[in-house]
Amino acid sequence: MHAENRKTTEALNMDVLLAALPKESATDPTGRQLAQLINRIANQKVPVNSFSRIWTLGSLQARVTAGYLAYWLRSRFADADKRQQLKSAAHLAAALKLFGTMGYLRGAVMKIGQLLANLPEVVPEEFAEVLSALHFEAPPMHFAMVREVFLDEFGREPEEVFAAFDRQAFAAASLGQVHRARLHSGEEVAVKIQYPGIARTIKADLRNLRLLLQPLCLTIDWQDTLAKLADIERMLLMETDYSQEARFGKLARSAFTAADQVVVPQIYDEYSTARVLTAEYLPGCHINDFLATDPGQGERDHFTHLLTVATYRLYYRLHWLPADPHPGNFIFMADGRLGLIDFGCTLTLSDEEWIFSNVAIQAALDRDLPGLNRAIARACRFDDPDDMEPDRLEVIRSGFYWFMEPWQQEGVFDFGDRNFFLRGIDNVIEATRKGYTRSLPMTIWSNRFTFGGRAFCYKLKGRCEFRKIFLQESAGWQ
Amino acid sequence: MRISEQAKQESRARILEKAAELFTGKGFEATTTRDIALAAGLAAGTMFNYFPSKETLAMTMVTEAFRNGTTDFYRRRTGEEDLTEELFLFIASGLRRLRPLRPFLGPVLERSLSPFPRKNVCQEGEAARLNHLEAVQEIIGRHGFTTTPDYVAMTMYWSLYLGILAFWTNDASPNQEETRALIDYSLCVFVQVISGAGTDRGAAHAR
Ligand SMILES: Nc1ncnc2c1ncn2[C@@H]1O[C@H](COP(=O)(O)OP(=O)(O)OP(=O)(O)O)[C@@H](O)[C@H]1O
Ligand SMILES: [Mg+2]
Repeated sequence: MHAENRKTTEALNMDVLLAALPKESATDPTGRQLAQLINRIANQKVPVNSFSRIWTLGSLQARVTAGYLAYWLRSRFADADKRQQLKSAAHLAAALKLFGTMGYLRGAVMKIGQLLANLPEVVPEEFAEVLSALHFEAPPMHFAMVREVFLDEFGREPEEVFAAFDRQAFAAASLGQVHRARLHSGEEVAVKIQYPGIARTIKADLRNLRLLLQPLCLTIDWQDTLAKLADIERMLLMETDYSQEARFGKLARSAFTAADQVVVPQIYDEYSTARVLTAEYLPGCHINDFLATDPGQGERDHFTHLLTVATYRLYYRLHWLPADPHPGNFIFMADGRLGLIDFGCTLTLSDEEWIFSNVAIQAALDRDLPGLNRAIARACRFDDPDDMEPDRLEVIRSGFYWFMEPWQQEGVFDFGDRNFFLRGIDNVIEATRKGYTRSLPMTIWSNRFTFGGRAFCYKLKGRCEFRKIFLQESAGWQ
Repeated sequence: MRISEQAKQESRARILEKAAELFTGKGFEATTTRDIALAAGLAAGTMFNYFPSKETLAMTMVTEAFRNGTTDFYRRRTGEEDLTEELFLFIASGLRRLRPLRPFLGPVLERSLSPFPRKNVCQEGEAARLNHLEAVQEIIGRHGFTTTPDYVAMTMYWSLYLGILAFWTNDASPNQEETRALIDYSLCVFVQVISGAGTDRGAAHAR
């Protein structure tokens, strides 16, 4: 009975996985190979109930996420010959096993999952739900552990540092967990506490991952992968430093006034360290709960407007790409304000990147084709557009045109337009399928920024006067 | 009489203090009893009246740290902890008190807490072990776990604990936070075993 149940569950899991995972038409058209690989790794015995329980590949959502990672890795050596492909499959299995057995890098995998949760057309609806739920899984630190962190960071117990402190976390973050508390002066706060040993584990995991991928160095654009992995490591490590996030939070807060109706929580320095971040608690709900109230078009448009103002304010004034547009980072407040939390994954563009980014945008706005081609070649790490295969140039350029559509349209732009959204997704899929993935590391974050934001507004079925907002926000800041 | 008792306590405290400084500075092995006596301003012979050996001296510090840790634990315990969490609190409270001694603890603990039969059992080490296990047994009892025979549970616990201590004395991560993950992991394993939750022999994971 027991065993039978398990079997059915397993079969069910397989079906769902098959439906959810991307298919590779040439080598694995049904996706079965990939699904089996993931399941095999996922079924390795791991202790239940342990400190690392949320990082295991035991759950279906984690498997789907790992599947996408595998797909991405595979797409890197799609052109290799048969022998190389087999070799790389073995390495892929080893790499995934690594994810299945240890380490917090799965925090990073979870982040990929969150990103995918923003793409309901890529991931079937029900998976988008589980993937976004990854964020809210039961937090693994019990209170005694939290108290030890407090003694190390503040020399005092949480109840001494705060007037009141909830033993139970109310939200889990990818690298930590969040508790509610009240200051002695009465303010309600959210206290984010980092899991122990995370930075070291990220470094160790990425080192291992690089070693595992090393044999692929002849078949793929190795330098490109290395550069991207280095950038991912840099950003992940940056996220482990909460004092950095505090600095970003304060800068962001100063960029908005009450009239903007965008609020960034105040950071309380006295109660913040590199491992603990204390911020004003923002009451409100996330997008799913907001949508569950069946909001009218006006409300949807209102929040789409606020979100657009917020992101382009940060872009033009601070030269930031908020590269973690996870739905959990936006709070719909009852009074109509939009709360922005979490500046852990914020990319500050260097002067060179900032100028480059605007040159590309301007070229598209001016319909300056040679200029645009030059910018695209550079983003794809070619010296000159003539060095690119014409098809590659074409595919990447149409992606950029898609990105620029809202910028060029006078009046209201409808981000809820299914056709518009799908064209963007199709372009990404086409580029990935054709292996046109070579690009500056910065594009990882600009893509996350763009797709995260657009998917969010699509889900919201919201509209706004994008061009007007962009003209307003860029005026005087370029 | 009272004065001399007080003077005795003072000498004892001074010896402990100087010994800790020397152990931390030159290491446990390189420090001689002569060095300690000299630093404490005592004749070597006098010092032996207080502490018969370097090992006893070091273990006295350890025992004191453990005692303080246990007091901290009883003060910090809220009663809301589940078994794993409470054991975690107990171990963490002890290690926090032990932390100042960490630089020289490796060889001390190795000699005094070794679980293998030895000719000269370190009395302080044995006392520390018994006190520790007594507290653990009290905690387990409070949570109503009785399935595993005591000597099995306690031997398992002690093996895990020694492993944790060994890792901790060598843990280079900030605030020994990696040890913290290890403690939690080890305790989960231990609690699973004594609660009988592991009796399906891993069937929950079978394919
Ligand atoms: N100031 C706040 N007010 C209200 N809720 C908050 C606040 N800060 C954090 N939260 C809640 O905690 C969750 C996680 O916080 P946060 O996004 O800062 O963590 P994170 O480590 O950056 O995670 P991730 O990188 O996965 O987004 C949020 O989605 C939100 O639900
Ligand atoms: Mg977040």
